[in-house]
Amino acid sequence: MWRGSRWLRGLLLRPAGPGRAPAVRRAAGWAGPAGRALSGGPSAELRAGGGAEREHRAPDHALSKFSIDFVTALLRQENASNICVIQLPPEMRYSDYFIIVSGSSARHLHAMAHYTLKMYKQMKQENNPHVLIEGKDTDDWMCIDFGSIVIHFMLPETREIYELEKLWTLRSYDDQLAQMVPASLPDDFIFGLTNKQQ
Amino acid sequence: FSFKFHLSGTCAHLQTAVGLHRCHLNITGACSAIQKMTRVRVVDNSTLGNTPYHRPPKCIHVYNKSGVGKVGDKILLAIKGEKKKALIVGHRRPGPCMTPRFDSNNVVLIEDNGNPTGTRIKTPIPLILRKHEGEFSKVLAIAQNLV
Repeated sequence: MWRGSRWLRGLLLRPAGPGRAPAVRRAAGWAGPAGRALSGGPSAELRAGGGAEREHRAPDHALSKFSIDFVTALLRQENASNICVIQLPPEMRYSDYFIIVSGSSARHLHAMAHYTLKMYKQMKQENNPHVLIEGKDTDDWMCIDFGSIVIHFMLPETREIYELEKLWTLRSYDDQLAQMVPASLPDDFIFGLTNKQQ
Repeated sequence: FSFKFHLSGTCAHLQTAVGLHRCHLNITGACSAIQKMTRVRVVDNSTLGNTPYHRPPKCIHVYNKSGVGKVGDKILLAIKGEKKKALIVGHRRPGPCMTPRFDSNNVVLIEDNGNPTGTRIKTPIPLILRKHEGEFSKVLAIAQNLV
């Protein structure tokens, strides 16, 4: 699937796409507005400010052309279903945006991931780091870490198993974490070595 | 790196680290992070890692040039009578400056294709995994607590 440079110019000159208001978007409508209300933790306050301010906020990372809007437009154009963009607070020190995307088949995920990487390579300058696709040999979960954006390409079944959106919106209040049995220390665990003052 | 052996047989490097106390336990195992025959602690919520068994999960191979596994290395684990690959996310050995040191040798079970077996990790996961070459974004994505 080779996109010519003419198409690329058209994409860059195209005015800002629709639907940029909510920070957490999902085509299937899983808890769209409710997701914002439910989310605990600091990310709620940032998103409650509304999407309107986000459009005018200049992107902070070095690659200003490879912005979140460009990425979402790209994914929509690739027929990715259920695009979920979560804006992370800077206290997490992980990244700025966390995107989860579903594909229809393993081949679709493969194509989407490679196409996103190809676009990044075309737009990056010399000082930007190289990015690799993680999970190339899997058939249900691939991810790419662009520094300030992390994209996960999953099949719908895999998405249901891991429920990453729930974890990353309700950080500590996630229900899978609550169901986990609290771990007890193993029997051979040597604890308190520093406390033994003889 | 010379080892000075005391009456109790402890590692001098660790003695200076913990303040020169007398302990009668041989703790030289912590000097080498994770290698063959180390007992490890599985920290995700997979059924294989959490069902009790009469033997603790042990490392049987480290996928590394040296046989010593540090944070971010893949190892082979013998767990409940089966072999399973795992990723080291923390060890008791002090690492590079300004990296976290854990009180237990933590490990996350992964499949052969790199997908994590469990779905959530409660223990803190070091963020230096992001800088390492390798496929760690999936493990970071299911972690609750990043350090």
